[in-house]
Amino acid sequence: MRIKGIILIAIIIGIGFGLNLFFTNSWLKNKIEYNASVVNEAKVEFDGFDFSLFQLKLSWDRLQVTNPSNTMTNTFETGATEFKMEFWPLLWKKVIVENVQLMGFQLDTERETDGYFEMPEIDEEPGFFSELTSQISGEIAKNAQTQLDEIKTSVNVDSLLAKMDLQAAHKMDSLKTGLEQNYSKWEDTFKDNPIEKNVAEIKKSVEGLEVPKLKNPKEAIAALEDVKKLAEQAKKLKTETEQLKKDFEQDFNSTTSGVGQIDGWIKDDIASAVSVAKLPDFDVQNIGSALFGGNLLGDFNTYIEYLAVAREYGSRFMSSEEEEKIERYEGKNYEFSDKYDWPGLWLKKIELSGRTNTQIDLSGLITNISSNQKKTGYPILIDIGGSDKNNVSLSVKSELNYLGAEPKENVEVVYDGFSLNKAKISPSKLLPYDLKAGKGEISASINLINRKINSEMSYKAKGIVFDFESEGKPKNKIEGVLRDAISDVDMVYATAIVDGTSDKLNIKVRSNIDDLFVNALKNTVQKEVDAAKKKIEAKVTEEVAAKRKEVEKYASEKEAQLRAEYDRIEASVNEQLQKVEEKREELEKKKKELEDSVKGAIKKKIGIDF
Amino acid sequence: MLLLKYLSKLLKELSSEAEPSQLAGGFILGMIIGLTPIMSFHNLIIVVLILVLKVNIGMALLSFTVFSGVAYLADPGFHAFGVWMLEHDGLQSLWTSIYDNEWWAMTRFYNTVVLGSFVSALLLCVPMFPLTIYLIKNYRTHIHARVQKTKLMQALKGSKIYSFYQTVNKVRG
Repeated sequence: MRIKGIILIAIIIGIGFGLNLFFTNSWLKNKIEYNASVVNEAKVEFDGFDFSLFQLKLSWDRLQVTNPSNTMTNTFETGATEFKMEFWPLLWKKVIVENVQLMGFQLDTERETDGYFEMPEIDEEPGFFSELTSQISGEIAKNAQTQLDEIKTSVNVDSLLAKMDLQAAHKMDSLKTGLEQNYSKWEDTFKDNPIEKNVAEIKKSVEGLEVPKLKNPKEAIAALEDVKKLAEQAKKLKTETEQLKKDFEQDFNSTTSGVGQIDGWIKDDIASAVSVAKLPDFDVQNIGSALFGGNLLGDFNTYIEYLAVAREYGSRFMSSEEEEKIERYEGKNYEFSDKYDWPGLWLKKIELSGRTNTQIDLSGLITNISSNQKKTGYPILIDIGGSDKNNVSLSVKSELNYLGAEPKENVEVVYDGFSLNKAKISPSKLLPYDLKAGKGEISASINLINRKINSEMSYKAKGIVFDFESEGKPKNKIEGVLRDAISDVDMVYATAIVDGTSDKLNIKVRSNIDDLFVNALKNTVQKEVDAAKKKIEAKVTEEVAAKRKEVEKYASEKEAQLRAEYDRIEASVNEQLQKVEEKREELEKKKKELEDSVKGAIKKKIGIDF
Repeated sequence: MLLLKYLSKLLKELSSEAEPSQLAGGFILGMIIGLTPIMSFHNLIIVVLILVLKVNIGMALLSFTVFSGVAYLADPGFHAFGVWMLEHDGLQSLWTSIYDNEWWAMTRFYNTVVLGSFVSALLLCVPMFPLTIYLIKNYRTHIHARVQKTKLMQALKGSKIYSFYQTVNKVRG
């Protein structure tokens, strides 16, 4: 035995232990914090982080996950947490944890420092979720524009149109310029075309053939050959003329198609004027969207963003983790059982307990968070819930399933029984009233299967009493009408339904007060609104009428002029064709006469009839 | 410097100082590391054996260097041999039972090149150990004196590096 060798091994082990003691903690903490922050798009921080290599134990005193939408708050934080990793999987570079107890879980906590995180640049194609949230955001923006509280029922059309720049007039000017250029081009084409010159040459040649002067059949045959050539030339000219007509018709039709669009341009101007005048379209969907669309769809987008993160990482691990690249002569691994077929990360059970910022005591389980569900055979299940002393309850249930060919996510959230005292049920100025009493319920149900979505978000306000007194008298006629309509309402529910695919997404927002509002408005201000719309329509039509007449007149006159020119050319070609044909017939006749006379002369001389 | 030290020591011990079995031991242990994929669990054990047992470290280093080159050429053969063993019907129950044991699984015996090269190396040890002893003895009696007189050896001894090493060695004692 070599003593020096044993000492060397002892030294190596000692150095390894020391390095672990001094560097592993900070290295591992930084690595986990960085990667988690990238996923969260805002800082994720540990306090009191400790990793023990010999006990395979990971623990922290506090974990803060910053809310990316407001980096001065945490989406959630946890208290002291400790868990052990399984030994053997670690030797295969896999982290398997049997049980994690997340104590002191709190939602929406304040941060002492800003949790902003500088995201590394990731070049990613917009996927299903970004298309979805973008469409929803578009719908929210559209709802924001539907300011029913600013609507008017009458309008000064003259001053409105004075402010507007009617597009139809500009478009008609452009159309006329285009027509002028095109007509000028065709005028030149008809003027400079060689057809007429060729027609004149044929005419001259035909007229130069003096049939009576032909003295024998030989001359007649030669003249006939000339006529045949002239006939071919005339036919060629006819073909050229027809092609010219075809080109003209095609070009002319595409140019004049703009004339047919004038009605559409005028309609667009009318719609634009109606919009500027803030004349509303009293549709149930419009009212529902204006009242509740922004909030409901905003909440929906938040859930979708969380699901996007889940799917992104679920799918990313699934597709890349097990790609085994065999380098040259690295050999091939054989598997004799599935014993070591672990996913890279598997947190089998997280027991969670804590409290929301509204003092709801939460507890629940999150099971089977893994980097590859096909290896664990289990989807991620979340079941967290709880209530406070006033029976306000929160329940979150979710299944994130990446076991099959298509990723599936399901989320059910219910927040029920919270007080609506002094709250508003809608941010819209149509419902500016605080509530004196009432309980609220918010629920969301989102089902996603690959690119298909089926979801429903709803608000319920039960036992409500509006505080009309604090708002004073209605500020306008519409507010008064709406106040009357909802004065007896003690329950309001609103639902947003989003279904379909990102290519064809259906978004509907409805509430029980939509019909009340629509009926109230239709019975009172609808007639005035309709009259104002008709006024705008008549005025816009009148404003552009002169221009329209000018363009249409110009187009029809020019068309007639060009068609006449073409008809003249066509007629001259047809005339020459006719003349050539007549000349040919005359020559045939003359030829026969001459042949007959020659035959008669021969018979007379030699007595043989040919 | 460490490599030079061990090579110099090897030259010295090749001449007369060390037991031929110690040199042969170093040779076959280095050969196993050289022939098999270096990041294998069994190589950790062999390194410990080299450090703990009284085998010649210089010979182990030399052997490792030489057989790493050999392994590069022989890897396809090791792979084929590994495939043959791992797919052999008669060995399936053995592989399955030891695969389920984590300690055995840590050796990565289920990799074709690891198994093929390791078994090949073990088989080679049987002739290589006595053959090395035989060659060392023959070297000492017939070749060593002639090697010392070669121009290469003279040049090496006369080099600045060698004299520097000798000086350092004397100072260190």
